[in-house]
Amino acid sequence: MLQDVLKSKCTLFADGVQTILRGQENRTRRVVMVKGNLVQNARSDQRGVSARVNRDGMYGFASVAEYTPEAAEKVIKAATDNALLLGRHSDKRIVLPPSFGTGIIPTSGQIVDADQKRIIELCRTVDDHIAEKYPDLTSRVVVYTEDSMDKIIYTSDAYNGHVLYPRAHMYVVMDSETKDGVPVEMMDVFGGYGGFDDHFTDPETMWPKIDRIYERLMDKKEGVYADAGYKTVVLGGMMGGMLAHEAVGHTVEADLVRGGSVAGPNLNKRVASDLVTMVDFAHTYDGAAAPLPVYLDDEGTKAEDAVLIKDGILVGYMNDRESAAEYGMTPLGNARGWGFSDEPLIRMRNTCILPGKNTVEELIASVDDGYYLIDSGNGQADLTGEFMFGVTCGYEIKNGKLGRALLDTTVTGVAFDMLKSVDMISDEVIWSTSGTCGKKQPMAVGMGGPHLRCKIMIGGR
Amino acid sequence: MSEIRAIADSFDAILQSKNVEKYTYTLVQSEKQELNVEGNSFKLMRTVFNNSGSLKVFRGARMGSVSGNDITEEGLAKLTDDGIAAAESAEEDPCHDFAPDQGKDVFEQGVYEPDMDRFFERIKEFLATVEKEYPKINIMMGIGSFDRNHWISRTTNGTEFEGFSGYYQFGIEFSAIDGEKTTGIAGGGFVTKDLDTPFIDVYNVRRQLEDAQNSLCPETVQGKFEGTVIMTPDCVTEFLSMLMSNYVSSNVIIDGTSQWLDKVGEKVADEKLTVALKPFDERIVVGERGTQDGFRTEEVTIIDHGVLKTHMLGLYASNKTGRPMIKNTGRDVVVDAGDQTLEELIASVDHGLLMGGFSGGYPGTNGEFSGVAKNSFLIENGKVKCAVMETMVNGNLGAMFANIRGITKEQLCDGMTVVPYIAFDGIVISGK
Repeated sequence: MLQDVLKSKCTLFADGVQTILRGQENRTRRVVMVKGNLVQNARSDQRGVSARVNRDGMYGFASVAEYTPEAAEKVIKAATDNALLLGRHSDKRIVLPPSFGTGIIPTSGQIVDADQKRIIELCRTVDDHIAEKYPDLTSRVVVYTEDSMDKIIYTSDAYNGHVLYPRAHMYVVMDSETKDGVPVEMMDVFGGYGGFDDHFTDPETMWPKIDRIYERLMDKKEGVYADAGYKTVVLGGMMGGMLAHEAVGHTVEADLVRGGSVAGPNLNKRVASDLVTMVDFAHTYDGAAAPLPVYLDDEGTKAEDAVLIKDGILVGYMNDRESAAEYGMTPLGNARGWGFSDEPLIRMRNTCILPGKNTVEELIASVDDGYYLIDSGNGQADLTGEFMFGVTCGYEIKNGKLGRALLDTTVTGVAFDMLKSVDMISDEVIWSTSGTCGKKQPMAVGMGGPHLRCKIMIGGR
Repeated sequence: MSEIRAIADSFDAILQSKNVEKYTYTLVQSEKQELNVEGNSFKLMRTVFNNSGSLKVFRGARMGSVSGNDITEEGLAKLTDDGIAAAESAEEDPCHDFAPDQGKDVFEQGVYEPDMDRFFERIKEFLATVEKEYPKINIMMGIGSFDRNHWISRTTNGTEFEGFSGYYQFGIEFSAIDGEKTTGIAGGGFVTKDLDTPFIDVYNVRRQLEDAQNSLCPETVQGKFEGTVIMTPDCVTEFLSMLMSNYVSSNVIIDGTSQWLDKVGEKVADEKLTVALKPFDERIVVGERGTQDGFRTEEVTIIDHGVLKTHMLGLYASNKTGRPMIKNTGRDVVVDAGDQTLEELIASVDHGLLMGGFSGGYPGTNGEFSGVAKNSFLIENGKVKCAVMETMVNGNLGAMFANIRGITKEQLCDGMTVVPYIAFDGIVISGK
């Protein structure tokens, strides 16, 4: 973990200037086995210090790849110079956002570095298990990945703190072929917040889920293409989480609202059925740690939950300090940067649609002719709320019962139209911890959701 | 940024003092000056001074790879220790290796000293032009940056490459807004080594802005039909990338899931299609000079008039499979021009789309894709009719490149790729 070498440089913060000084280290560990071959065995450490200065109504940002008091001094000066230079080329000025409190946020959690040898041994154990138990696979891939962030944040007029974001995941991919020789693939992910020892000390705990990957792959071997069109579907919890993040979450990030997103004219209006409530949780969900607990953001804002949709009404945006002032809202800790050299942007944390009252079985039983869409490979959405999710695991529903598996397909819709069609919600939430969102910079995010019954456009042949 | 050679000498001494007999590394010192625009005005100026060191250590047939950004003596010593530990943790695999001696060379590309005053003026000029000529366009985010890199790469086989490069980059994300009507996000950008041309006239920037303004009243395609999709160069580049990844890249050849596994020398695509990697093409601003395996980069033709000339294997995959490697990492894509104008191509289509973007699931190894057509227009009876929304396209990567209707004479260059418009037949297009 980083030792604090920055505190003494807070004396350089100029009066009347908002300054953030951040020291940061990002670590990645990655091992990839393709069909038993160790094709990647890599470790990376990136460390440095940055400063952002809001001076004379302009932002200046600077970073260097050193983590020293001298580097801190250098970036404060360079960031100030950048703000002044920019001011000479622009007439528009940013009003200094107000302070929402000062103090120190206590450190939570820890980053423990796993030995590369143990990581490789784990991958080998998992790969051997798959190869031995399922020799009929055409291929298999085992990927171990760790990405951790360690940040020390000092601000001129907000909270200070030392915050940690460790994540460790393993991806298992299995390949087979349909009877026509068409390749099919199934993937699932293990792990979550924390390090190697939090998730991977006993590989045997992974076997049941690995069996499930294989079973779903065998189903998919016999799979059919979806019948393209506007269908009634049950979205699984992972799909619900993807919906919360991609289709709704991005449109209510205040910088995208400013850019013209559909959320702008819809604030305080109905955007979903009254069953739908959606929250971007800061650090705690249902009395336990959220998948990616955020206690302090990179502008020094103490993190709190952001309620976005309440009983179907759009009630808020996610903000940084500047946008919160612009929209008359309170910043709740959504400004984060990925690397030491990245400025904070408005980012989601743990975005989730809250559970309802029905069971998953009730949702499936209620559909005469539709699809159960369980897992998604990726997703994207637009300012208009038009979204797309790739569907990598799904089944037909015929007369309330699961039918044949689906080959890969895609679903699309317009978020606020689609959410109005939600008429049943299941009573549990499934979280994804492995998400990495892209928006100029990558960012670790959590997302979650219950099962939703709704109408959606599905692609097919 | 002049001391990198001395740092490399120091790194060699550290590696040798720790008895590392076989290694390869690259050290980079980089500097970025970035101007961020939001809503037609400057908002933030960002400077990044960064370093990177990436090292591969070999212990017999074991290989470990590590990287970091601390290239001080202390940092390089730690990198060496981490590299040794990673190598000693690895399993034996004699297929890991790097190039034999490629000699020594120094490469200089682009412009190394920026003219930041002129860069500011070009961006201001661009913003003023957009405000005047495209009043419904809202620039959500504009990023202009000057990037400068000085790097050195050495191997224990004797190779030493040193490179200096510098280039300007400009990219925008924008939408069109008219009252409560808004379009989706559009975006684009380019790399350039000079500031001679107003940014509005570089690459396809003007056309993208016009397309966004013309997309404020999109219509939904009715029903489902099989039609022709004309893809813009940006969109072609995206599909080519998916094709290469799923059909000819190292991973799918090693694991045997490629559908073109045994197709080298055979016709796999329409004969109008020629795809090459051309790092020395004068339109490419900063082309690759040394591969990740330590070879001098060479020009490679992947598909020649529809015939697959080679897979895109690195040294490891080549050793693992016994198939030929290429001395190119896979950047700097150039697609040969065709013989039609875009207008002629559009006129030839009865029913289809002019597609500017694709938002879809990443295809599996079977090449099946489906997703939403973004920034797209309906073509009916040879004419562009209207912008579309909630319109899906489905097809198969291999099949679509075998089913090319036409390629434009006009190639667009963004400084990194040179690609024409391509029309593909047999794509399933479906509306609500």
